[in-house]
Amino acid sequence: MRQFWIFARKEWKEQLRGFKIIWVPLVFIFFGALEPLTYHFMPQILDSVGNLPEGAEFQLPDMTGTDVIMSLTGQYQMIGTLVLVLAFMATMSGERKSGTGTLLYVRPISYASYFSSKWFTAAILGIVSVWLGYGMSMTYIVQLYDVYPGAGELIKFLLSYGVWVLFVITLAVAASAVLPTGGAAGAALGVLFIGQIVDGMIGEYWTWTPWRLPEYSLLYLNAGPESGEFWGALAVTVLLIVLLAVIGTAMAGRNSSRAKV
Amino acid sequence: MQIEEMFAQVPWGLIWPILLIELILKIVAFVDLSKRRATNGPVILWVFIILLINTIGPILYFTVGRRNE
Repeated sequence: MRQFWIFARKEWKEQLRGFKIIWVPLVFIFFGALEPLTYHFMPQILDSVGNLPEGAEFQLPDMTGTDVIMSLTGQYQMIGTLVLVLAFMATMSGERKSGTGTLLYVRPISYASYFSSKWFTAAILGIVSVWLGYGMSMTYIVQLYDVYPGAGELIKFLLSYGVWVLFVITLAVAASAVLPTGGAAGAALGVLFIGQIVDGMIGEYWTWTPWRLPEYSLLYLNAGPESGEFWGALAVTVLLIVLLAVIGTAMAGRNSSRAKV
Repeated sequence: MQIEEMFAQVPWGLIWPILLIELILKIVAFVDLSKRRATNGPVILWVFIILLINTIGPILYFTVGRRNE
């Protein structure tokens, strides 16, 4: 346990020095602020850049705060996933490549605390960033839109969406334990995006997957998801997270011999 | 439309946080770039990418531009 906190402090310092702790939250906050503004000023934006023929008229749908949150979640599913995977793709493979690894691996370290400290700090940074993004979005939504979700619903949504974010981060960190940086990013993004495509095609019949979780979370903003399906998907996701963590720990130990001196 | 009129119409109260975030991302990217010895690709390329491509530019630099060696 002591080793865990020592490693965690080292990770923290690395995130600070690499400015990861600044740019990851800022990216999410940026998109969180942009989404409500874009929808609010859509008529003006179309006016100024639209190149519309004279007399063209659009009936824009009346957006509510909930719609904006949904659309923002769609953004996070694409850009957010990309940013999170790219940010954490080198978590372990980078250390093997840069030589930091050799300094660690010659010591009698426990790979469980090595992996879990990296996973823990990455998860905290990622989840807090996403939550800050939604927080920023809400501050705009409250000012610009009449109808918006209440605090209780929003907290339920944020908690369950956080599990999905945790899954993404765990996948990225575990992949970087198994593969070199480029391969890790490719594998993690491949699994996540192919999963989303497969979910789009046959998701109706396949209700207990991590990829359904964001959708179920969004339902908390309206009526609430069907509880059986939600808890099933949540259980499967947690199980996969644990499995990935175990694989990651084992592979971090086995790959330690590949560290460049 | 006159430039001043256009400026007056912009809702600065709402968009200043976005401009600020943009600025911070660019500054942080440049600080990092000035400290770093090795990047993937020529440094001058990254200077232009960070400067000219909004939001995505600094993100690209942070994710694929840096090399730790």
